[in-house]
Amino acid sequence: MSSQSDVRFTDFKSDKQPTWCPGCGDFGTMNGMMKALAETGNDPDNTFVVAGIGCSGKIGTYMHSYALHGVHGRALPVATGVKMARPDIEVMAAGGDGDGYSIGAGHFVHAVRRNVDMSYVVMDNRIYGLTKGQASPTSRSDFETSTTPEGPQQPPVNPLALALASGATFIAQSFASDALRHQEIIQEAIEHDGFGFVNVFSPCVTFNDVDTYDYFRDSLVDLKEDEDHDRHDYEDAKEVILDGDKEFQGVMYQDENSVPYHEQHGVTEDMSDIPDGAPEDAMDLVREFY
Amino acid sequence: MAEDLNWAVGGEAGDGIDSTGKIFAQALSRAGRHVFTSKDFASRIRGGYTAYKIRTSVDNIQSVVDRLDILVALTQRTIDENLDELHEGSAIIYDGERSWEADIPEEMSGVDVPLKSLAEDAGGAIMRNIVALGAACEITGFDVEYLDEALEKRFGGKGSKIVENNKEAARLGQEYVEENYDLDLDSDLETTDNDYVLLNGNEAIGMGAIAAGCRFYAGYPITPATSIMEYLTGRIEEYGGHVVQAEDELSAINMALGGARAGARAMTATSGAGIDLMTETFGLVATSETPLVITDVQRSGPSTGMPTKQEQGDLNMTLYGGHGEIPRFVVTPTSIDECFWKTIEAFNLAEKYQTPVFLVSDLAMSVTEQTFEPDTFDMDAVEIDRGKLVDEDEVEEWLDSQGRFRAHANTEDGVSPRAIPGMTDGAHMSTGLEHNELGRRTEEQDVRVQQVDKRNRKVETAKEQEEWDYREFGDEDADNLIISWGSNEGALVEALDYLEDDGVDVRVISVPYIFPRPDLSDEIAAAEETIVVECNATGQFADVIEHDVLERVKRINKYTGVRFKADELAEEITEKLSQEVPA
Repeated sequence: MSSQSDVRFTDFKSDKQPTWCPGCGDFGTMNGMMKALAETGNDPDNTFVVAGIGCSGKIGTYMHSYALHGVHGRALPVATGVKMARPDIEVMAAGGDGDGYSIGAGHFVHAVRRNVDMSYVVMDNRIYGLTKGQASPTSRSDFETSTTPEGPQQPPVNPLALALASGATFIAQSFASDALRHQEIIQEAIEHDGFGFVNVFSPCVTFNDVDTYDYFRDSLVDLKEDEDHDRHDYEDAKEVILDGDKEFQGVMYQDENSVPYHEQHGVTEDMSDIPDGAPEDAMDLVREFY
Repeated sequence: MAEDLNWAVGGEAGDGIDSTGKIFAQALSRAGRHVFTSKDFASRIRGGYTAYKIRTSVDNIQSVVDRLDILVALTQRTIDENLDELHEGSAIIYDGERSWEADIPEEMSGVDVPLKSLAEDAGGAIMRNIVALGAACEITGFDVEYLDEALEKRFGGKGSKIVENNKEAARLGQEYVEENYDLDLDSDLETTDNDYVLLNGNEAIGMGAIAAGCRFYAGYPITPATSIMEYLTGRIEEYGGHVVQAEDELSAINMALGGARAGARAMTATSGAGIDLMTETFGLVATSETPLVITDVQRSGPSTGMPTKQEQGDLNMTLYGGHGEIPRFVVTPTSIDECFWKTIEAFNLAEKYQTPVFLVSDLAMSVTEQTFEPDTFDMDAVEIDRGKLVDEDEVEEWLDSQGRFRAHANTEDGVSPRAIPGMTDGAHMSTGLEHNELGRRTEEQDVRVQQVDKRNRKVETAKEQEEWDYREFGDEDADNLIISWGSNEGALVEALDYLEDDGVDVRVISVPYIFPRPDLSDEIAAAEETIVVECNATGQFADVIEHDVLERVKRINKYTGVRFKADELAEEITEKLSQEVPA
């Protein structure tokens, strides 16, 4: 394994050219992830990236590390399994708003409450891109698409609120085009002791003409500049997360007392290391049945 | 064969039926007697009829029969439910002081024991079942000391006071029968010096998993698979492993897959609807070439069917389940001890061929306890083969000209090298999408064909490299051939004795591998008659056999929810042999 100082973010780049549309927010999202991984002292050989399905799911292909591109909505269970078996490995899960908040919503709630020490990056473009423009769980209620000609007519999922209600210990939001801030927030998620959740505004330039770069640039409020916001204060977090009028970036909430799953459950062994035969004291397992 | 005794305790769920039966089974096992248990239970927590049955002999036994010699009845329904099995001379222990008046058939001996009040004398009404066990000891001439040992094992953790009270309860039951009844049941239970272990199929699977190096288990509670998870929880940690109760089966199989990709030996287990939910991921396991053991403890379906009843209806699901075409192995243990050994084999197959292995058990095996010589589970004989898991020296061989690891390299045997996280230069991506040798998505026709062929070739390699044998019983030269899979083996083996008595010559082949499976064409050709026995309505394995040999076979199918009994099976076989083969 290369030493920490040798690693550059380009080491996390694969030689495969992304097939994302030119201008897609996922480019910025991925660059921030790679830089954050390198900056936090990881290298491709000790990193495992798990991706879901959709445009976002392609991310594992364009990055270089151990990776699995699984089935729709199940990135978090896979990532959880990887981290359980290998507490020594840096695990990052990535997916989109459909993958994470629709088909995978059940897993999201439980991954959050399990508080496994990994990070989860959701590329939220508020639309289904790869299937060519249907409403997603975060689409606005009046957002007209091929499957919702009059808009979904139902309120969008608030992923941050869902995370907070599920007992999240780290909740953040970033904007793919604000490169430095985005990287900084991902880094914090990686460094957090527990489940580091980041919802990333990652605009779809092909199918979403409402939640655009310009829209986020003009409307985003950075919590870093809000001196009144205390990220360790649950009530503060609730206030910004449930604020229906503004879009925020930054770390909304971080539980100072977060104890990751591994510490709570004493899961510390490298489970890939097993003996050539049954464990030495395995006959004890038989004796139990006397 | 030595005389065997059939004993049961029955009442309402919540009456402690299960623990009462288990304590007596352990006492018999301690006394060096073979034990084979079965359970009737309903899918509810309290109320409803439930029973725990024990068949015991000094000889080895591995099935149930239609006979009941002693019944501890806590409710009238217990007597009614078992009337068919009770016979002239059967003894029924009941509590006449309770509000119900036991309706005991005339030809049977009612043994009225004030279970509740004697239990109260010993320290609490809760011990009335233990009073009944003491009474049963007296009736069968069984030394109550063995019961004491079982009580110590059961209640030792709760303190000596509890143990002593229970022993006292047993004594009071014994003494009551001694003083008030003069029964001559001719059933004195012989004891031996053997030290047996007593366990069920799910415990054997769990023990096999730990022995095989399984360190990560993810599952979702479902009858009758849950007890595998319960066994592993609290034990696997001692070997550095962990169990996660996932939010659903979709999560469970994906978590297990994650654990396996990270290099752990990993497993999930489920039943019924749970295996349906997991189906989505079967293909991902196969295309990402992840070694994973997926255990299906079958129960009566379809839909929620009869969750606490026996069936072997998921064979098609495990053989063919999943969209597209999935290389896989289907391993089917045929007895409780084989649940242990086949689990170990399943892990080896999974890692050697990097593909899903279905370990298919059934409810009858999962809840049935049986006694074994401890060295049946000889841990020194356990061999672990991790297949083509590369080490630091080997990884270089598998890099392409640009230094990228060829995780899906197109090898002659179809099995690619496997690198796990942490290994320098081994980093690679795997995906459920069709991919090239590097694991990258492709739709190129020649690469698609190459990768499909490569994955399927593993099965061909395994067919050649492994022994896909079968287990055989009875007369090798018999004209009549019976083929079976799963837990029916025990009943068939014993049915041979009944058939022999009736002059019917039979050869039994019991198949522990359904895919790949042994070639039985010669055996079927040599037989005049072939019958396939299985616990389902349509004959899923019979269909497979017919496909192999291109001729019709006879079928014995049972789908009542109850396992085959040896005597019943002997009768059915005799009857079936006289019938025409269906066109």
